Amino acid sequence: MRQQKSRGFWYGVYALVLLALVAGIWGMSARVHYDWNWKDVPRYLVSTSGQELLAPFDAYVSITPDGKTLSLKEYGGERSASYTDFAQAYAESGDLVFRDDLLAYQAGLKPGILLVGLWMTLKLSAVSLVFALLLGLVAGLGRVADNPAAKQLSSNYVELIRGTPLLVQIFIVYFFIGTVLQLSAFTAGVVALAVFTGAYIAEIIRSGIESVPKGQMEAARSLGMNYTQTMRYVILPQALKKTLPSLAGQFINLIKDSSLVSVMALTDLTKAGREIISSNFRPFEVWFTIALMYLLLTGTLSYLVRRLEKRLAHD
Amino acid sequence: MTDAPLIHATGVEKCYPNGTQALKGVDLKVARGEVVCIIGPSGSGKSTLLRALNAMETITGGEVVVDGISVHARGTDLNKLRTHVGMVFQQFNLFPHMTALENVMLAPTRVLKRPPEEARSRAEKLLAKVGLADKANVHPGQLSGGQQQRVAIARALAMQPSIMLFDEPTSALDPEMVGEVLEVMKNLAREGMTMCVVTHEMGFARAVANRVIFMDAGLIQYQNAPQAFFDAPESERLKLFLGQVLK
Repeated sequence: MRQQKSRGFWYGVYALVLLALVAGIWGMSARVHYDWNWKDVPRYLVSTSGQELLAPFDAYVSITPDGKTLSLKEYGGERSASYTDFAQAYAESGDLVFRDDLLAYQAGLKPGILLVGLWMTLKLSAVSLVFALLLGLVAGLGRVADNPAAKQLSSNYVELIRGTPLLVQIFIVYFFIGTVLQLSAFTAGVVALAVFTGAYIAEIIRSGIESVPKGQMEAARSLGMNYTQTMRYVILPQALKKTLPSLAGQFINLIKDSSLVSVMALTDLTKAGREIISSNFRPFEVWFTIALMYLLLTGTLSYLVRRLEKRLAHD
Repeated sequence: MTDAPLIHATGVEKCYPNGTQALKGVDLKVARGEVVCIIGPSGSGKSTLLRALNAMETITGGEVVVDGISVHARGTDLNKLRTHVGMVFQQFNLFPHMTALENVMLAPTRVLKRPPEEARSRAEKLLAKVGLADKANVHPGQLSGGQQQRVAIARALAMQPSIMLFDEPTSALDPEMVGEVLEVMKNLAREGMTMCVVTHEMGFARAVANRVIFMDAGLIQYQNAPQAFFDAPESERLKLFLGQVLK
């Protein structure tokens, strides 16, 4: 009973601390006279403006008084055109527009720049993850191999990658390797992230393999299984199961690290945020939103991994 | 051909990199169908000798010939050799992520490339033979030590070996489970399996072995038929050892 009471008390303390934090942030922003404006944020997620309607040739614009029909009459020519399938006109009656000028926004929703950025972040992380796993598996097996070449090479790889900052590696991949091999920004991003994460996965897999009792290798070899068969059917299944939590942590790191590729010409979630801020000067709302979106991504992932762990623990 | 020993080790030496000499020139012959028990104090080299027979341990001198194959020669296909030599370990070493049945089936399907159905029916027969037909779909974690060791024996037998090596198979077991494992081994001996058993079970050695070997300090000190070995040992060291063990 007493314990119940004190637990309730500490939950109260927890709520108070959270409240104090929120009040602190609010107070600080009030001190710099920042007026919050969250109303702008949704349209960066889902843009209601829809597709852009562009002028096909140089022309004069005329819009009917009810605003429903927009007609074009070619400047210095005979062509004309009229549109009714738009939601909001951008040009005004009497305007002279040139080819590819914006006339109006068509009806319909399209993903805003933040969702486009989120999709890029997801794509980048997923593709990098696949290659990082392959690279990590190869290097991890190299670390525990008897072959001196495999051992040395994978050891050097891990040391080199873990000893240099990711940002520097991204610059090297983008500006040096990317230039030499003519890599696109996306490919360069995948290479940098996969090579970086692969080194950490290699260490996780090495420790997983080493955590499998030596007797497992001996038993399998005594049955006439060769090294590859033993690794594939006996050691790796056990090692991967043991390292699943660490691997999940590394995947989450990969998603977060992917924000560093925003230094390249690649509009991921972070870069999308920087682009928005440079046009609307609202860094507070945008960065908070972006943090929340990353949290959503990583939170979903760790939830999925926890479920997978539970399923594996059963058998 | 029947005269040629199945195992013929001559002058086997094992020196560890740290300088410890585990084996100092051991000669051992085991005939087909013979059951040999090796006893001795810990650190006497008996496990090292056993493990040298299927090259789980490298040697630094001498030669081991098993079934006409020089085990430690360059170019010997160890994987192929080991399919003829089953081994049972003190710590069972079952694969914990597989069921008992899958443990027994793994090597026949992957190494001998047996069709899964054939391997499965053979594995079921072997589990029945060690008295565990009802545990086929259970993971090792849910089996007692004695049951695990019996699965391990079935797993080794699945490769249809001509020799079985046992490395202290009952040393990690609770006393009440020793009997069930020894029973399986006795049946195996009765069927004519060639067996080398490193053990502390003197009762088993006396009842089942054709020959008992006493090892100490990296050498075979004494060997004889069990009757003479236990009742009238001609070695002072063995007397001392038996005195301590059988106390």
